[in-house]
Amino acid sequence: MYFAAAKSFDEWFEDLQMRFVNDFITDNRWKYLWNGLGVTLKITAGAVVIGIILGFLVAAIRATHDKTGKLRVLNVLANIYLTVIRGTPVVVQLLITYFVILAPLGVNEVIVAICAFGINSGAYVAEIVRAGIMSIDNGQFEAGRSLGFNYAQTMWYIILPQAFKNILPALCNEFIVLLKETSVSGYVALQDLTKGGDIIRGRTFDAFLPLIAVALIYLVMVLILTKLVSILERRLRSSDH
Amino acid sequence: MTTKKKKKNSADNSFAAIEKKIDKKATDAHEMKPSEAVSSEGGTMSESLIMVRNLEKHYGELHALDGVSMNIEKGEVVVIIGPSGSGKSTFLRSLNLLEVPTSGEIIFEGVNMLDKHVDINVHRQKMGMVFQHFNLFPHMTIMKNVTIGPMKLLKVSKEEAEKRATELLKRVGLADRANAYPSQLSGGQKQRIAIVRALCMQPDVMLFDEPTSALDPEMVGEVLEVMKSLAKEGMTMAVVTHEMGFAKEVADRVVFMADGKILETGSPEEIFSNPKTEKAKQFLASVLS
Repeated sequence: MYFAAAKSFDEWFEDLQMRFVNDFITDNRWKYLWNGLGVTLKITAGAVVIGIILGFLVAAIRATHDKTGKLRVLNVLANIYLTVIRGTPVVVQLLITYFVILAPLGVNEVIVAICAFGINSGAYVAEIVRAGIMSIDNGQFEAGRSLGFNYAQTMWYIILPQAFKNILPALCNEFIVLLKETSVSGYVALQDLTKGGDIIRGRTFDAFLPLIAVALIYLVMVLILTKLVSILERRLRSSDH
Repeated sequence: MTTKKKKKNSADNSFAAIEKKIDKKATDAHEMKPSEAVSSEGGTMSESLIMVRNLEKHYGELHALDGVSMNIEKGEVVVIIGPSGSGKSTFLRSLNLLEVPTSGEIIFEGVNMLDKHVDINVHRQKMGMVFQHFNLFPHMTIMKNVTIGPMKLLKVSKEEAEKRATELLKRVGLADRANAYPSQLSGGQKQRIAIVRALCMQPDVMLFDEPTSALDPEMVGEVLEVMKSLAKEGMTMAVVTHEMGFAKEVADRVVFMADGKILETGSPEEIFSNPKTEKAKQFLASVLS
């Protein structure tokens, strides 16, 4: 019995080694993952930038409208944007961006994905930022205005730095979600990390190792990002006591 | 009869129109009068630093300010007292338009603050404000708190702003806390810093909105001391407070408000020892007992 188990473990391990070689070494198949990772990171980084810019812009419009009643038209547009983006699946948005809007113009797929995910992320960032701005005591706002700062200066010097600290965890969480969400990029013929693993599965008919490898890579990236966030948070807190 | 009237009206139509025009001109001129009056007065005699005319504020149904008029002279310390909900804070906060009045006029240094063409931010720089809850900026050191205004708005150099801030911090006894953050200070210390923050802008008037109401009793004194020394130096001050002792000692004039109106105004002696209205009597009896 003991003997048989040992033998079967050896067999299993040998089998695993063979599959590993076949999945990752033969024909340099690891390059599917490596290149896919590059695409995933490119899309995520680009989308984060667009998401932040768009998100802060929309949040500024909405918060300004809430506080002063100005920017009515822009506020309506912002609301439509938020409703549509948050009310439809990101895959559908990606497909529409690609097949309906940008593919006819011959735009590069990576750019398409960056736009689609950035616009999607912007909606979530906007609501996070707006909640952060609204969470700051109105007395801070009044103190800034009473010194003679105008609305924008008060926002910039006084409200946003405080709001940013409050929303940092939620904001980073949004970007971790975004990183994982880009795994649907394969829908528009992009070879991102997930698609890379899937291609290997198609070549070798082995699903286990390539997909576990993909999952592990995502996990490691998320862990690294989470760690960075907690370091950043600690540093911000130390300036506040 | 009616036809005659109509006829007359139509006959006089052009004249009426002209009259209307003249009327309009007259009202225009009238509307401009206060600021003109101020500027023409300014050359010859001392004008009021702040002139408030018929200030009205409605919050929906609530009539928070009901035709408040008042002058604040240069160098004067005006203490505004009254029961809660009397509109005294609303009045003070409308002086620098943190609260926008529904109608009326606020003329500060000859400028009508409610004129749409006036850049309110410039005039706010000359009106220091101290809040009940301090409202220091928690993400900045004390030094940054008190210098950010002069540096960003008055374009004072960092060295100069810090030099002046250090002087003022010394005066309130907190120069050693310049590098601390607001959360490391006690309430009384925070409020003294808030006063310094306002003073660093070199304002022409200081507005105090219940500056000691959020403080522990043992810290009230240190804040009032700072305010007293300011008053002694001739700073123009408008103070909403429940500290009757301060009002008696420091005020040049005490204003009693209730239900959005100024019911009494006079020297501290007049108001405290000889209140005329029933409301003032009741209020003073309850706070002085």
